[in-house]
Amino acid sequence: MYFAAIELHISIAAEPVFTVFGFPVTNALLTGILGTIIVVSLLGVVAWAVKTGRYNRFVGLVQWVFEGLLKQINDIIPDKTLARRITPLAVTIFFFVLINYWLSILPGVDSIRVDGVPLIRSLTADLNFTLALAIVTVVTVQIYAFRYLGVYGNAHRYFRNPLKDPIGAFEGLLELVGEFSRGIALSLRLFGNAFAGEVLLVIIAFLTGYLAAVTLPFFMVFELFIGFIQAYVFFVLTLIFTALAVSHHEPDSNHSPAAHPKKAALRGK
Amino acid sequence: MNNLHYLAAETTADAGLFGALGIDWRLLVLQLVAFLLLVFLLGKFVYPWLMKQVDERQANIEAAQKAATEAQKAAADNREKVAELLDAARKEAADIVATAKLEAEEMHRSSEAKAKKTAERIVNDAHEQIDKDVAAAQKALHNETIELVALATEKIVGAELSSKVDNQRIAKTLQEIR
Repeated sequence: MYFAAIELHISIAAEPVFTVFGFPVTNALLTGILGTIIVVSLLGVVAWAVKTGRYNRFVGLVQWVFEGLLKQINDIIPDKTLARRITPLAVTIFFFVLINYWLSILPGVDSIRVDGVPLIRSLTADLNFTLALAIVTVVTVQIYAFRYLGVYGNAHRYFRNPLKDPIGAFEGLLELVGEFSRGIALSLRLFGNAFAGEVLLVIIAFLTGYLAAVTLPFFMVFELFIGFIQAYVFFVLTLIFTALAVSHHEPDSNHSPAAHPKKAALRGK
Repeated sequence: MNNLHYLAAETTADAGLFGALGIDWRLLVLQLVAFLLLVFLLGKFVYPWLMKQVDERQANIEAAQKAATEAQKAAADNREKVAELLDAARKEAADIVATAKLEAEEMHRSSEAKAKKTAERIVNDAHEQIDKDVAAAQKALHNETIELVALATEKIVGAELSSKVDNQRIAKTLQEIR
C-alpha cells in the first residue's frame, strides 16, 4: 500500500515552525501574515483605484461586495451613526476571515513541511485567532452597549434585583451567560469549520492518492463556499450582537433621547 | 492509518485543555493586537475612500430619483397644461370657424349684391347701347328710304333732272317768292 509512505499529520493546535526570542512562530501565524498582506494589498489597491478613478472589473467586484456589506450593516444596525462606526470592524472581519479561510485550500497544505511541521495552515484554523476575533467582537459590543445605554443601563441588562423582579434577574443571568457563550460560539464555529475543512482536504488527498488531482478540486470549491459562508456568518453575527446590545429594552423602558442621554449625545456627534 | 498523528492528544497531557486546543496567550494577544491594528489602518486609510464613493453613488442615485420624480411631476403638469391648451385651442378654433362662417356669409351676401348691381349696370348699358343702335339704324334707314324714294320718283318721272333744270326751277321759285 502506498498509504504507508504517506504520513497523515493532524494537529488541533497550530504548530511552531521556529521561535524568535522564545516566541513561537506557528504555521498559522505565517499563513496569517500572508493573509494580512493579501487583504491589505487587495483593499489598498481598490482604495487607490477608487481614489484615482482607475476602475476595472476587479475593483468593481470588490466595490460591489463592499457596497453589499454596507447595505447589510445599514439594514441590521438601526442607528446610522453606529452603523458607520461599526463598519471598519465588521468589513475587516469579513474580508480577513474570507481570505484567510480561502488560504486553507492552497496547494501544499500539510504537504510542505519544515522539520516535519506543515508550513501552511489557515489562520482561521488556529483557535488563538478565532478566540481573539471573538474577544474583539464581544468587547466592541460591550463598549457600544456602554456608550448607548450607560454603565447602569448596560449593567441592568445582566443584574436585576431578584426580590423585585425574580424572572428578570434570571433572565439577566441568562443574558450574562449568553454573552460568554456567544463569544465562545463565535470562535469555535469558525475554528471548527476551518479546521474540519483542512482535515477534510488532507483526508481526501490521503485517501484518493494520485486521484486527488481529480477529487480535491470539488472539495476545494466546497471549502471556498464554506469560507464565504463562515466569513458572512461572523460578519452578520457581529452586527446582530451589536444591534441587540444597543437596542436592549425592558417592559417599562423609555427609549426617548431624554431617557438615554448618552445615546442621544452619541447620535448627535 | 498507523501513521496518523494525533498531536492534540500528545499536548493535552502537557498543558491541559488550553494547551490541547493550542491556545497560547502570547499568540492570542499578538493576533488580537495585530487584528485591531489592521482594523485601525483599514478604517483610517482604505474604508473612507470606499465609503465616500458609495455615499457619492448613493447621493447620485437619490438625486437621479428626485430628478425622475420631479420630471414625472413636470410631465404630469405639462400633460395637464397641454390638455388645457388643447381645450382652449379647440374653443378658439370653434370661435374662428364660427366667425369665418359669418364673414363668409357676409362676403357672400356682399358679393351677391355687388354682382347684382354690376349685372344691372351692364344690362342698363346694354339697353342704352341698343337704343342708340336702334336710333342710328332708324336714321340710316330713314336716309336710305329717302334716297330710295328719290330714286323711285326719278324712275317714275322718267326724266332725269339736270342741274340746269334745277337751276331754272330755283330761279323760278325765287321769283315767285319775291
